[in-house]
Amino acid sequence: MLRSSPSKMPFTADAAAHQIQERLKNIYNLIFEIEEERNRSEHNLNNITKAHDKITPDDKVSPYYQQKLKSLYSAAVSDAQQEEELIRKALAKINEIRAIRNERRIQARNAGNKETIRRGALMKMLLSSAQTLPLYVGKSPGAKPPPLCGAIPAEVTYIAKMGDMVAALVKGSEEEENWILAEVVQFNPTTSKYEVDDIDEEQKDRHVLSKRRVVPLPLMRANPETDAHALFPKGSIVMALYPQTTCFYKAVVNQLPTTATEEYEVLFEDATYADGYSPPLNVAQRYVISIKESKKNKSQS
Amino acid sequence: MDETTRTMSGMSSEDRVQSVTSTSQNLVSSNSAESSSPRGTDQASRQNNLQRIQQRKHQVFNWPQLKKLLKLANYSSCQADECKCNGWKNAQPLTKCPKNDMQQPAANFSDPCRSCTHVLEKHITHLQSQSDDEINKLLGMVIDVDNIFMGMHREEDPDTKKVYYYLFKLLRKCILSMTKPTIEGPLGQPPFERPSIAKAITNFVLYKFGHLSQREWQAMYDLAKMFLHCLNHWNFETPSARRTAGNAEEAPAYKINYTRWLVFCHVPAFCDSLPHYDTTLVFGRTLLQAVFKSVCRQLMDKCHSERDRMSPEKRVLVLTHFPKFLSMLEVEIYSDGSPIWDPEFKQVPPSHLQAALESKGNHSRRPGEFEKISVAHNDKDNYTTINISPGLKKLPEKRSHSEGRPDLKRRKNEEAFEDLPEETVAEIVATINDPNYMCGPDAVFPPNVPRDETAKIEESRKIIEFHVIGNSLTQPVSKQTMLWLIGLHNVFSHQLPRMPKEYISQLVFDPKHKTLALIKDGRPIGGICFRMFATQGFTEIVFCAVTSQEQVKGYGTHLMNMLKDYHIKNNILHFLTFADEFAIGYFKKQGFSKDIKMSRPMYQGYIKDYEGATLMHCELNAKIVYTEFTAVIRKQKEIIKKLIYQRQQEIQKVHPGLTCFKEGVRGIPVESIPGIRETGWKSYAQTRTRGVAKGTQGPEPMEACLDVTDSLYNALKSVLNTVKNNSTAWPFLKPVDKNDVPDYYDHIKYPMDLKTMSDRLKARYYVTRRLFIADMTRIFTNCRLYNSPDTEYYRCANALEKYFQTRMKEIGLWDK
Repeated sequence: MLRSSPSKMPFTADAAAHQIQERLKNIYNLIFEIEEERNRSEHNLNNITKAHDKITPDDKVSPYYQQKLKSLYSAAVSDAQQEEELIRKALAKINEIRAIRNERRIQARNAGNKETIRRGALMKMLLSSAQTLPLYVGKSPGAKPPPLCGAIPAEVTYIAKMGDMVAALVKGSEEEENWILAEVVQFNPTTSKYEVDDIDEEQKDRHVLSKRRVVPLPLMRANPETDAHALFPKGSIVMALYPQTTCFYKAVVNQLPTTATEEYEVLFEDATYADGYSPPLNVAQRYVISIKESKKNKSQS
Repeated sequence: MDETTRTMSGMSSEDRVQSVTSTSQNLVSSNSAESSSPRGTDQASRQNNLQRIQQRKHQVFNWPQLKKLLKLANYSSCQADECKCNGWKNAQPLTKCPKNDMQQPAANFSDPCRSCTHVLEKHITHLQSQSDDEINKLLGMVIDVDNIFMGMHREEDPDTKKVYYYLFKLLRKCILSMTKPTIEGPLGQPPFERPSIAKAITNFVLYKFGHLSQREWQAMYDLAKMFLHCLNHWNFETPSARRTAGNAEEAPAYKINYTRWLVFCHVPAFCDSLPHYDTTLVFGRTLLQAVFKSVCRQLMDKCHSERDRMSPEKRVLVLTHFPKFLSMLEVEIYSDGSPIWDPEFKQVPPSHLQAALESKGNHSRRPGEFEKISVAHNDKDNYTTINISPGLKKLPEKRSHSEGRPDLKRRKNEEAFEDLPEETVAEIVATINDPNYMCGPDAVFPPNVPRDETAKIEESRKIIEFHVIGNSLTQPVSKQTMLWLIGLHNVFSHQLPRMPKEYISQLVFDPKHKTLALIKDGRPIGGICFRMFATQGFTEIVFCAVTSQEQVKGYGTHLMNMLKDYHIKNNILHFLTFADEFAIGYFKKQGFSKDIKMSRPMYQGYIKDYEGATLMHCELNAKIVYTEFTAVIRKQKEIIKKLIYQRQQEIQKVHPGLTCFKEGVRGIPVESIPGIRETGWKSYAQTRTRGVAKGTQGPEPMEACLDVTDSLYNALKSVLNTVKNNSTAWPFLKPVDKNDVPDYYDHIKYPMDLKTMSDRLKARYYVTRRLFIADMTRIFTNCRLYNSPDTEYYRCANALEKYFQTRMKEIGLWDK
């Protein structure tokens, strides 16, 4: 990923713009290459269809045609792989741009000129960053989605990176505890504690929390059409970000997304409603995580 | 326009009223002349007639006692036992004296009565002991009886004739019984309706024009007086004439009012033994609604036909302002919900108006009347759904007269003489509206768009809509409205858990409360429940909530802006609300303050009081379209930025740094720094009075850079001298002395006077004529600001201003 390479030295807005520009150029070229590759695939696929047309009348396939078809198919597969490779490259470039922007943001913040974002704008950003979260596409049909894709939790040893979004269990002013949306500032390996910032700038709180109290949010969306198993099943108890807030609350999954761009429909636990649950509300994959047992429950178990 | 209003108000208010009055009198008399049925008097001139009657009475009162008694004998009952004769009649044939019909020289005390044969003396024995006053009173009635009798004979309308006959008989009876005439019976007693026409018109002026400056308000107030005067002297159509014009359904009511008017207003005007009432004080809405249209039509016709005889000022007043005034009035007169008809109408006028109201005219109120608090409230408002969105679109158009170029008038008079060329503005606006403007890697999330931007976009795409809805007990409420009200009730009770549900139901479904509902996907997701107190000029905001998952999207801000625009349309400019600790932040963002600028009596006893909540107040500015406000400010900001940028491009030049300090110079005058003057910089003395931001405005600085030519200097000097020598210049020769007028400088922030101007001229400050005109104009506007129009100072300011402008025009230093 990008983070290791060019960003050791703090980079300026101009440098960031330059790097983004470069990647946009790359993407532009890649699009042409993809188009070329696609045309080639098209051609091969046509040939395959033609070959099939010729051999359908009689059931027996001659060795010649067997051979021909074999080579045609392998050519088509390699074409498709080429095309896939290019598309993945283009997606990687898009991710790099996201990373650069994020890096730039973190640096600007560390430099002290933290841009103040109005709540409304923040909500919009949260929504759009969830919608544009990278989509996981497995290399092979049966491939197992990696951790932090959809509902797949992180590995136990996983450490969230600086700037990553997490859910953090923090103490409020009146001793009550809340899962809030936060951003990782750093992880201290010696104390094994995270330092996180409340995403809501009006709170202006920095929290130092043990690993247990920090749950990283998914880094990738799962595609319900191919990786349905990487989604929370209907009826499962989850923590979900209440719409238009920066807090996670307990909820029941009511309906799963059916496409990569759809959101979960959940029912929040809410005593103010007569039946104890909110009406169905939509929450993006990024903001639905598996529930953490509270401390009390854990000590009991 | 500007000039004419100025001259108009330059006249003393008395002059003005009088000139107006004389017009209306002309109008009235000619109206009577045109009327087909002359009533009571000869109508060559009603005024003359009234005078003649007065003279006649006077003459009779000076008669010798004997003659008076002889006269009274004709109308007095015979005192002889058992005699029922009710008036001595001359047995001798009348000598024909059609004019002096009361001349009966032959009569004396011993002449017998034609009908009862008793001598004349018998008819007057009871009168001899009466005082002169009593005799005169009876004689007055006698003359009135004669006049009514003649009027009755001349009258062609049968209904009117009957009324004259009734009054004739009444007066005859009163003379016989020597009592004071009182009119009793089915007609009722004045006042017949509350509030009276006069009160309603005064309310109207307060309600519609209360926000105007004193000068403009005075003009409206005078128009109101003129209108009332006309009504008081108006000859109304007979019911039969009206019936032909086709007003069948209200005919009975009109007939009653017409009869009342004849009996209490019209006839008593010339028969002063009958109690007289002013039409506008005893009649109310019914009569005014019935006659308003035809009165207006005739009034305007008359105004137009007399236009050539009017002075220019009066022409402006009568032909320009009066029709507008009447059409605004018409709306209120026929509107069921108009507060002008509210018997408890209460709107504290601005202080200058209060003084004017109390000092002027017969319809000024007693000061105590404002203090009265009552919860009575007329509620005939239409509570069906009003979609204010289309209305809002029209708003900018509607306001374009005043709003299109805000402050046009002030600008012309005072400050910015150098406006930007239209093309420059158009060019910049085109640039900043270009979607590619400000496009870059950061444009994906424009950092701080206005709060309500998203909501506005959603509204324009019909994703959300806004409706003002409310319950009604008198009119059918649509099912949709009811469903929405229930939905709103749920939103409020869920979002405001501390409010008892029953309380929320009580207010949301109360017909006096309305709710501005925010509808998304056909269901309410938020709203503001409010109650208008039109008579008090404020609205109480009761509940305000957006359902939690739809918050932080700018809906709350847009809702409030919608509500503000809605209220400006309804002419209510104050919001009050009790905000709890969570709501204070929201209300602050919406322009509310804990500092209550309304006077307590205006809202006390009206607004609900909540414990532990903070009262907050927001005053609206009728000139602002609140839903457009952020967009306008943003645009203005962009324009200014662009202008600064353009100017930088024009004058960008790198000057070599100053080296003089190295050589030991300790200081240099700022203006000697190379390039500084080109940026539009001006010395302190100039910037202080000219204000800031001048430097960025087009050609003015360039003009300022030119050396002051002697010709300009000499021209201005000669104008200044003649102005100073003018006979009306005396109030403006020196700065106002604080010792003489202690509060002058509290009101006048930018004083100016002719001496200061002379000093400035000598100091070569007037590098352009505009600076000179600006200072001079400042003198006059200050004067008119501080002084009331009926002062000598005010007149001087107007006169001198005219003179000044003439002089400037003569030497070609005046625009247009």
